[in-house]
Amino acid sequence: MAIAHDFEYLKPGTLREAVRTLARYGPRARVLAGGTDLITLIGEAMAAPDAVVDIKGISGLDRIEFKNGALSIGALVTFSDLRDSPIIAKKFPVIREMTGWLASPGIRNRATMVGNLCSAVPCCDSGPILMVYDAVIQVAGPAGKRKVPLSDWFVGPRKTVLKRGEVATGVVVLLPKKKHAACFVKLRRYEGEDLAQASVTVLALAGNSYRVSFGSVAPWPVRAHKIEALLEGQQLSDSLIRKAAQLVPEEITPITDIRATKEYRMHMCCVMLNRGLKAATARLAGAGPEYGTSLI
Amino acid sequence: MNKQITLTINGEARAVEVGPTDILLDVLREKLGIKSPKIGCERGDCGACTVLLDGKSVRSCLILAIEADGHKITTLEGLSRNGLTPLQESFLKHSSFQCGFCAPGIVLSATELLAKHPHPSEEEIKESISGNLCRCTGYKPIIEAIAAVSNARRKSV
Amino acid sequence: MTATKFVGESPTRIDGLDKITGAANYVDDLSFGPNLLHAEVVESPYAHALIKSIDTSAAEKVPGVVRVVTGREFPHRFGLYMRDRFIFPTDRVRFVGEQVAAVVARDAKTAKRAAKLVKIVYEELEPVLDLAGALRDNPTLVHPDLGKYPRCPWFFPQAGTNIAHWRKTRKGDIAQGFKEADVILEDTYTVPRYAHCAIEPHVIVGLCDLAGRLTLWSASQSPFTQRHVFAQALAPLGLSHKDIRVVTPYVGGGFGGKAGVSMEIIGAALAMMVKGHPVKVRWSRAQEFYNTYQRQGVIARIKLGAKKDGTITAIEHTLHWDAGGYVEYGANVVNAVGFSATGPYRVPNVKIDSVCVYTNLPPGGPYRGFGYSEFHFGLESHITRIAKKIGMDPVEFRRKNAIREGDTLAYGAEMNASGLHEAIDKVAAEIGWGRKEVSKDPNRVIGKGFACFWKSPAMPPNAASSAFIKFNEDGSLNICASGMEIGQGYFTVMAQIAAEILTVPVSKIRMEAPDTDRNAYEWQTVGSHVTWGCGNAVKAAALDVRSKMFEVVERALGLSRDTLYVEDEKVKCRARADFELPFRDFVISGIQTEHGNFIGGPILGSGVFMPEFTSAVSDPETSQGGHPNVHYTVGAAAAIVELDKQTGRMRVLKAVLAVDAGKAIHPELVKGQIVGGMLQGLATVLYEDIRYSLKGKLLNANFTDYKIPTSMDLPGEIVPIIVEVPQPDGPFGARGVAEHTMIPAAAIIANAVDDAVGLRLKSLPITAEKVALELQGIAYDDVKGAYMGLCFAGHLDKYDFHTKAAKK
Repeated sequence: MAIAHDFEYLKPGTLREAVRTLARYGPRARVLAGGTDLITLIGEAMAAPDAVVDIKGISGLDRIEFKNGALSIGALVTFSDLRDSPIIAKKFPVIREMTGWLASPGIRNRATMVGNLCSAVPCCDSGPILMVYDAVIQVAGPAGKRKVPLSDWFVGPRKTVLKRGEVATGVVVLLPKKKHAACFVKLRRYEGEDLAQASVTVLALAGNSYRVSFGSVAPWPVRAHKIEALLEGQQLSDSLIRKAAQLVPEEITPITDIRATKEYRMHMCCVMLNRGLKAATARLAGAGPEYGTSLI
Repeated sequence: MNKQITLTINGEARAVEVGPTDILLDVLREKLGIKSPKIGCERGDCGACTVLLDGKSVRSCLILAIEADGHKITTLEGLSRNGLTPLQESFLKHSSFQCGFCAPGIVLSATELLAKHPHPSEEEIKESISGNLCRCTGYKPIIEAIAAVSNARRKSV
Repeated sequence: MTATKFVGESPTRIDGLDKITGAANYVDDLSFGPNLLHAEVVESPYAHALIKSIDTSAAEKVPGVVRVVTGREFPHRFGLYMRDRFIFPTDRVRFVGEQVAAVVARDAKTAKRAAKLVKIVYEELEPVLDLAGALRDNPTLVHPDLGKYPRCPWFFPQAGTNIAHWRKTRKGDIAQGFKEADVILEDTYTVPRYAHCAIEPHVIVGLCDLAGRLTLWSASQSPFTQRHVFAQALAPLGLSHKDIRVVTPYVGGGFGGKAGVSMEIIGAALAMMVKGHPVKVRWSRAQEFYNTYQRQGVIARIKLGAKKDGTITAIEHTLHWDAGGYVEYGANVVNAVGFSATGPYRVPNVKIDSVCVYTNLPPGGPYRGFGYSEFHFGLESHITRIAKKIGMDPVEFRRKNAIREGDTLAYGAEMNASGLHEAIDKVAAEIGWGRKEVSKDPNRVIGKGFACFWKSPAMPPNAASSAFIKFNEDGSLNICASGMEIGQGYFTVMAQIAAEILTVPVSKIRMEAPDTDRNAYEWQTVGSHVTWGCGNAVKAAALDVRSKMFEVVERALGLSRDTLYVEDEKVKCRARADFELPFRDFVISGIQTEHGNFIGGPILGSGVFMPEFTSAVSDPETSQGGHPNVHYTVGAAAAIVELDKQTGRMRVLKAVLAVDAGKAIHPELVKGQIVGGMLQGLATVLYEDIRYSLKGKLLNANFTDYKIPTSMDLPGEIVPIIVEVPQPDGPFGARGVAEHTMIPAAAIIANAVDDAVGLRLKSLPITAEKVALELQGIAYDDVKGAYMGLCFAGHLDKYDFHTKAAKK
């Protein structure tokens, strides 16, 4: 495909240089990591940057590290890296579960989790998963480094809090101290590669504590605080789940678009919440469906 | 501004001048004469342009040629330099392809799979080619051919 | 039938090695050197608008632009069966995305940039985006000049309306038929448009050399038909057939989308404007969706009458087709259905109205199934429903009414030999018909659905096939015919047919893709007819070769040709057991006599086949009197579907399809067609979902939002079953099967869903979303949002089939 639009390709060797370059171009620059989103956008004239800043020359951003209960995922870590990582499989199996339904190997080999967060599309799968872990995004910029809680990260579809000259360098996820298990349920039009029509993530913690998030049913991924409050400390039961499902319309604002109607999204969020809560709870008890088993 | 890049393609180092907006797929096909990666959708959906970049299957339609500077690329042309691979033999035997347009991508995706998992499960086989659309075969003869390679290997061990 | 050695076996595909090594060249893989030009078209943003002016001056000034071409250079209409298209329209645009001009430049990037500089002023017209509206009194006309268009004699356009063609078939006494019925069921079904989605986009390279010779390298199913249409369209420029050569290398999937001529005309026209330079037109995936052919949408009303004992007494089947802005090919789909919309049943009283309606959506055209998938959805849903209404098992009902050899077809001719009953029985047994299955998951229920199907090739009565066969020095063969290897295995099957006659193994037979200068004529590779039609031609050519070998042996060695036969690549003699002459010893250089001279020379054979028994001439009011169809291929299919009542998600646990191949020349390839076709069909029911804005813009022209099946989407099991009741006029009894395998898919799923949860869905697709919402009591159409799958956005039951223009 001939890209009709011209841009400069810049490949800084250090983070400092990258920040300088990004600051110089401001909104006319786009950061390139895996490129699976950006190159499509440029090719279809949905983005027209003057500079494409490839961060793959910066060392140290391709690491997955787990230290002192904190998981760091660098900006160049691909979904395949996550899928193949023993530490992810052991400590954060739900992240691995998510990667299985995210695109296909040829995309996962290139697409990065941090890039997925930076694209900030409402249907991104990384957002809702990381949200239940209260993940924090590491940002480097002209004013130095800062940390942005994921809950503050999204400001609109395809919009984040990143400022001029800033680049996301990684995301940090804390392993809950309590015993826990999780579940990711993704609604797709079929079994193959698809963007989420809706998704529900449930993190169940020992002591009947739950964290719940939804994807694709609001301008950005949302945490369901009201549902979490309702569930807090309660023994999970069908009637409790029914009450939780009644709160779903207060948590999400689905729209009708080409991928689904708001009615189906709403209905399915209730169904997926039900199944997700049960599966995560069962997993916490050492039972439940194996990670990677579709619940719908 | 154009730049000379070097790619190791199917084992051979090749230098080529590219512009910053040139797509790897187009450079392979138009400037280097490597025609097995196909143009199918140009937005990463169909997998016809699959190549192995440092051994990993990628969409060459979503990569700038300049990004690949200094990297190793394997295409279908590079697999049978020493005769057909067992996987290719198996695809041939199972009449796995009909129109054949998806074949270069699928052969490479399956090659990556078998390098990683010599004895994949059926689910792993399906997953490995899930990004390579085939409109003709219903995938069945493709999946069977990949499984047969795995089984043959198991027997020969 | 005598035993065969090659036919009925499943040798390695002869194109297999090309395809698994990367050696297979498709059009876009051919190299044309640094002189190659690239084209970018300028497209209409409107569904319907007058073109007021086109200003190309800014684009022409861009360095690297060689030429900007508009309809000014090509003011003539063209088309396959009806001349209703322009190469570039000059008067008005008729769908969003229609080409209005093209920029030819040194490189694709320049062409793309310059195309944005072409200024076109339009005057927007009311678009025809509603089927009922298209047929109302004094409608907006898509083609005000319809009455003047040249057309084939079996189309009946109605000037002053949007009706491009109306096929009427009448048999028996329809009123009497319904009087005799104990039960009458009447209902409406809709099928949206669909896209072929071959993985290879359309691409053509044209070169008109400085001597005026035009060569096209085209991704096509129809090299000779393309040449013919190009000659017709370019005749005003002084070109004729001999001046045009179409070369078609391997094609990356067709499914009907690469039949006839769609975007290829642009390549031919542009080549004429930039003589001496090859020019490439390659469609993007998005253009592939909105500016080739699409499968047409249809709204169908079925009224079916049956007696209590299950005998069908009458059918009234009215189909309104959303055929798009141009119907030069699509009207023939409508025509084909008009002959066959009874389905494969004995129906004494028939009234079929198949109406082709111009609309302002992209042109409809051929798609695997050629209209039959569309009408079978409604009809086979209806058959199951009426059977249940009279309390009869739907399979038993089908068995009772299934058509048999010698029965009178709707248009008066006789039904051919058919294994329909065998197919029904085998599918019913394989699917465990009548055995209720229970899911282990309490949220899920399991249902079974059954359907029969039939289809005939839709061919003009003089659609011909031919073949040359020539020997090489080593006794190997080249078959030079012009069917297309579009993946179905045509090369291999033709080789098997020649092998059977000549005893030369398939591995020693080469077939190359067509070149109209060098290969024998073939009408088109469509209609699942090449195994039958071209197979007959190849068989005739092989017999010709054999007879020429005998003639040479007789002349050189004095052995009577009546005593000669071939075996193991040798000529042998029944009268002289010790005589054997290997082919390789004489098929090029002849046979040396005792005098030292040589007799013979290169052996060449040719063969021709045309269905001389057919005729398209019939009474336009009844369709009686002609013989439009060569024969029908029949079959049956069934599915077991597990449905989650909460999510609506469906898993096809098992699908079975039996098709009467007459004789499966290559059983593995037949099974390959069944598996591939079944998956393609299932996708049209379960998730493929084309969407237009209410202004006619295609909203999901990509694989991100038009989902075609992946390897994760296979049914648990697909069981292919081959039935073989020979076709007397087919090569070794064979008839075509390729399109048929997707025809019953929609109905088996619809019937299975009804069986599982008692939900009868009458509009495709049957998505999980639709099922879940309906089970929640929400009518999907009430909430789906502002889009349509065909030119119809209203409520199914309110569609008026008897608006003014569509009144009888």
